[in-house]
Amino acid sequence: MIRRASCILLILVLIVSLTGCWSRHELNELAIAVGAGVDKKGDKYRLSIQVVDPGEVASKRGGTAASPVTLFTAEAETIFEAARKMTRTAPRKIYFSHLRMFVIDEALAKEGIGPVLDFLSRDHEFRTDFYIVVTKGSKAEEVLKIMTPLEDIPSNKLYFSLESSEKNWSPSLTVTLDELIQNFTLKGKQPVLTGLMITGNKKLGKTKRNIENIETYSRLQYSGLAAFKGDKLQGWLNDNQSRGYNYILGLVQGSVGHVPCDGEGKVVTEIIRTKTNMKGRIHQGQPAIDISVNIEGNVAEVSCRDLDLTKQSTLTEIEKKSEQKIKGFIESVIGKMQKEFKVDIFGFGEAIRRAHPAAWKSMKEDWEERYFPELPVTIKVDFKIRRLGTVSNSFLNELEE
Amino acid sequence: MLNKVKISSRQFTILTTLFTIGSAILVVPSGIAALAKQDAWIAALAGLAAGVIIISMHILLAKQHPGKTLVEMLDTLLGKWLGRTVALVFIATLFLCGPSAVLNILSNFLTTQMMPETPIQSLNILFAVIVLMGVYLGIETFSRSAELIFPWIALLYIAFIVLVSFDVKPTNLLPVLENGMRPIWPAALSFVCTAFLPNIILLMIIPSVDNRRNEAGRALLIGGIIGSVVTIVIITITIMVFGPEFTARSMYPTYALARKISIGNFLQRLEAIMATIWFISLYFRMTIYMYAISIALAQIFNLKEYRPLVLPLGMLLVVMSVIVYPNITYQNSWDTRTWIPYTLVIGFILPLLMLCLSGFRNLNKQG
Repeated sequence: MIRRASCILLILVLIVSLTGCWSRHELNELAIAVGAGVDKKGDKYRLSIQVVDPGEVASKRGGTAASPVTLFTAEAETIFEAARKMTRTAPRKIYFSHLRMFVIDEALAKEGIGPVLDFLSRDHEFRTDFYIVVTKGSKAEEVLKIMTPLEDIPSNKLYFSLESSEKNWSPSLTVTLDELIQNFTLKGKQPVLTGLMITGNKKLGKTKRNIENIETYSRLQYSGLAAFKGDKLQGWLNDNQSRGYNYILGLVQGSVGHVPCDGEGKVVTEIIRTKTNMKGRIHQGQPAIDISVNIEGNVAEVSCRDLDLTKQSTLTEIEKKSEQKIKGFIESVIGKMQKEFKVDIFGFGEAIRRAHPAAWKSMKEDWEERYFPELPVTIKVDFKIRRLGTVSNSFLNELEE
Repeated sequence: MLNKVKISSRQFTILTTLFTIGSAILVVPSGIAALAKQDAWIAALAGLAAGVIIISMHILLAKQHPGKTLVEMLDTLLGKWLGRTVALVFIATLFLCGPSAVLNILSNFLTTQMMPETPIQSLNILFAVIVLMGVYLGIETFSRSAELIFPWIALLYIAFIVLVSFDVKPTNLLPVLENGMRPIWPAALSFVCTAFLPNIILLMIIPSVDNRRNEAGRALLIGGIIGSVVTIVIITITIMVFGPEFTARSMYPTYALARKISIGNFLQRLEAIMATIWFISLYFRMTIYMYAISIALAQIFNLKEYRPLVLPLGMLLVVMSVIVYPNITYQNSWDTRTWIPYTLVIGFILPLLMLCLSGFRNLNKQG
């Protein structure tokens, strides 16, 4: 009797332990979303999701002619409704945990991206490790339709190319959801996002022909940063201003820049390390900012004759010129923000808040209207050249004209 | 029945540590950051200082009544009827806001973050079965398993901290004391109320500790300190990574932190493994609660064995855990409005009164 009772009990317990399979999602029942884009169409949001076709990605032997990803779109008044509405066209449930890129349409960004982002932070499937970008001159949906060479999955291309351009070129910036939301909540720092544009022929870019040629018809390209005020897009920075922005925030991990020589030609330096210090202070009751940027670089390319790199004075001169040039980037972006957009994307307000919390309290309400446009900013750039590469003086010096 | 069972003082330290970490690791960062913003770590340190005083009070109480559980102390101090009534009220209320609430927190976490479609009841039953098993097998058994599991928890925790530390931005902690000391106090209070005051229940199991070398009290103190330091580190790191605003808005910031881990694009998506830390700490917090409550009930009603009580209590636990909070907003407001005064009464005022009473008695005896 006891045996039978315990047997039944055991069976019951085992049934309970099967709950592990309750929320199961088998891989072949999921549509793994790698890219998502939002456009606004009238009152409705148009959500486009780029989904991986695992069969096409995994097949090593050429695969079939099918595209490795497919795009589903749906329109609804809210993002979540649109995502669920998609089940009408998609054969599987969309699974968001492996999302790499979230693309926001430029027109939508001008109206405000806040309402879109709440869903991303509330739903449990989203991690915070995907990057958010804004389209420039095209719709988010179009961006997700472009086929890309080398990387089969276009969203992966976007992800890695944003990471590597942030590391090596520097006018772009990776922004994750939590960083963006943090900037929304800070009074003294406004968010920025990297812009993404389509170059070339958009129509051909959507077809597989785009990657059949050596030179693709159409490409996805990052271009400069978008400055936001709150959740609304205010305007675009060009490449040099974007670079200046990254110098101010100490986000430059590597970059390349050139300065002219005395005669013809240019010297190119590769920046290998930067460190920025931003300090806020109160001077005679008025806020002020000190920025000091320390840069280390190597000489990477020389295209001028008669440049004697073995002399210390030459290096000092290149350093001076580079300092001037980078200072110019920084001044240009600060000037643009102070005069044109009146948006504190640099976190100058936060620097004041960190240094003088009490004074900040009286300023924070009309920081951007009153204090920020007049804010004196002292910029100090210190450029140090460390190495010359594998040769010293260029052979160009010996080349007869 | 208690005098026969003995656990070592090291096992007791580990139990105390796990009990203190308990649910705190999952919920505290968000609540304390909402109150004290970027100064949450200062508040938590202030809470730690206050906690040491409170634990010392508990230890003093235990020293004055060696070999006695909290219920037996109340018995001697207040007399049979009054003492047991107070003990019953104490235990009954603690059952509602102790283990039931912890189980609710756990299943809420699971349904929010990991298994949204699974009915909460089946998760609760499954977890409760393991808890009851631990309680039924007794303190020696679950102390030993705690001792076995603890190194793994420590390893996971250290790995967690190290992996996350790549993402810290120390400037998120600035400015220090932006709004002065005023917001620190309520935050410190809430920290004490979650991390230290419920530890009074450990006085139910302290007679089981092998106290030949007089180490039980020290174990209680050290366990509490380790547990709260672990929590303070988590609080500080969370704020350094996410900033105070995001931390406060996040339902489970520690889990969000684990999601953030990404080293070189291959060491990533570890959150489910990291969640093991709080599954285990929550398990021990619940088991200790349930064990202490069963023992207490057995003593109140003069039962020889606590084991017959375990299954009925477990059934109650599962039911209560589902209905104890109607929704998560209710839980949050309950945590700030009711939990704080309640734990102050059971963890601070009750032992203080008991200390006064026993001091008074000693004076009487001498006089």
